[in-house]
Amino acid sequence: MTNILTFCTATAQELPRASLEVLAAGRQLENKLGNGNIQAVLLGPDVDGHARSLMQHGADEVFVASHPRLQDYEADVILGTLEKVVPQLKPDVVLFPHDALSGGNVAPRLAYRLGTGIVTDCVGFEIEGDTIRWLRPVYGGKAMAYMVASGPVQLATIRSRAFEPLPPDPSRQGAVHTLEIDVDSISSPVSLVERTQKEMEGISLDQAQIIVSGGRGMEDKEGFSVLEHLAQVLGAAVGGSRPAADLGWVPHSQLVGQTGKIVAPNLYIAVAISGAPQHMAGAGSSKTIVAINKDEDAPIFKVAHIGVVDEWQNIIPAFTAACEEMLDN
Amino acid sequence: MHIVVCLKQIIDPEIPPHVFQIDPIKKKQVRGRQVLLISDFDAIALEVALQLKEKVDGKVTAITIGTAEAVEALHTALAMGADETVLISDPIFEETDSFGKAHILAAALHKLGEFDGVLCGRQAGDVELGLVGPFLAEMMNLPCVTLASNMEPEDGKMRFRRPIEGGYEILETTTPFLATITNDESNVARYASVRGIRKAMRTEIPVWSAADLALNPAEIGSETALIEMAKLFIPEREMRCEFIAGESGPEKAKQLAQRLQALKLL
Repeated sequence: MTNILTFCTATAQELPRASLEVLAAGRQLENKLGNGNIQAVLLGPDVDGHARSLMQHGADEVFVASHPRLQDYEADVILGTLEKVVPQLKPDVVLFPHDALSGGNVAPRLAYRLGTGIVTDCVGFEIEGDTIRWLRPVYGGKAMAYMVASGPVQLATIRSRAFEPLPPDPSRQGAVHTLEIDVDSISSPVSLVERTQKEMEGISLDQAQIIVSGGRGMEDKEGFSVLEHLAQVLGAAVGGSRPAADLGWVPHSQLVGQTGKIVAPNLYIAVAISGAPQHMAGAGSSKTIVAINKDEDAPIFKVAHIGVVDEWQNIIPAFTAACEEMLDN
Repeated sequence: MHIVVCLKQIIDPEIPPHVFQIDPIKKKQVRGRQVLLISDFDAIALEVALQLKEKVDGKVTAITIGTAEAVEALHTALAMGADETVLISDPIFEETDSFGKAHILAAALHKLGEFDGVLCGRQAGDVELGLVGPFLAEMMNLPCVTLASNMEPEDGKMRFRRPIEGGYEILETTTPFLATITNDESNVARYASVRGIRKAMRTEIPVWSAADLALNPAEIGSETALIEMAKLFIPEREMRCEFIAGESGPEKAKQLAQRLQALKLL
């Protein structure tokens, strides 16, 4: 039997989509390997209310460790906890969301401590014999690689939006276990002094089904206010290319690209963006890409599904009005 | 304050897809006539170290594992403002995985002696695994801060600013530490002037081999690798862009809206 552990993050109020995506990845892996068991691990105080939901979304068993120190998801505390959880549950595979906490910190360090292989930022896998080959983009998405991790247990982090959460199945039931972990004994050489988080205005790039993005061709900050209006009408998030972020037209937190956010919305509207590799590394996985650019030779038209060749000034205001009218009816 | 920055030299990631080539046997990008650069996040890590040096008295050392060509990346680092550089180079380093790379860097840091902090870019701009920094922290048992964008000393400790969704965190740790660096408004990497690079080219750059670092080839070769690339390929893109035609901008705009509605995308 193959044990697949999925690391799920949650707060008392919210079970993030990423946790369900990782479960979906685990289920798909189990389907390919056969005869597996999905162990969802949930850490934090007051998160056990999500156990049922995890079960309905694909977990066979849920393991909860509840401790006040787990509240803030400090990397060292989570790492120390998982280092104790893994020998207890003895998984063959551990899956994490590829986020700042796990992908950038906890998963690689756990792999080191377990003396085992890891592949980060995976978007799929195939099975060859009894080897899992993890599929991931490399070279800013210009190529793909199948990678193999060896060692006593395999770790992998899963790129956001690469797997769709499974629809909840109310008939799925299973056991919820409490993990007895001595969290107090875990040392954290890095301390959290302050965490400041504003309620996001509008929709975040990670959550958005539609993203409207602008590039250098927007010419100035005013240009972006036209895009913001369109985004408002569509219920979309606003993104920007690196030149737009470096010029201060959009905050760096809204930068889409290899050095910013990697997004995969249903619809990506790229306005006055040339389609540089750095940008496409972040936007290339979008389901449908619409490009509006005055230069018919712009590389963006090589990757866009739908294109409009024109100055954005001629298109966006009229497009916004047309959408407004359409969505009103 | 002595900060060591680990750099990787890569092929310019901004080359367009039609000139991007791979060698499926060696499972590597083909160099061709492309320019070599310091990987983006590593240049940003160097920038963060240089900004600290400007605030407090200190020294910045840039190190890289690479072939003889990687000396160019170190010339750039010197021109940007690094005080010292080391090229870590040996044919046996070429097939090593992220564990092996961390092992080599740990040996080099050991040889460098005293330092207050190590900075690595959040991930290299080629294979983008993002493993070497966290592995190195674990190997050297250093406090590990990840995805920070800048740092400032505070009462003998180091404080890091770390961008998060909708805000930021301030993290604090003792020295020596290891931090991986991500980008934000504060750390756009400075340019190295042509004059600066020319001047740097006259600097003798020390080269350390496996023997200089007393590294056992068995520990860093491909035989002990735990992470392996099984296959590298360029995905087929059977795609043709559907262009929206029309007499005027507003007409095209309207057609675009209708097309997207028909596709149930709005």
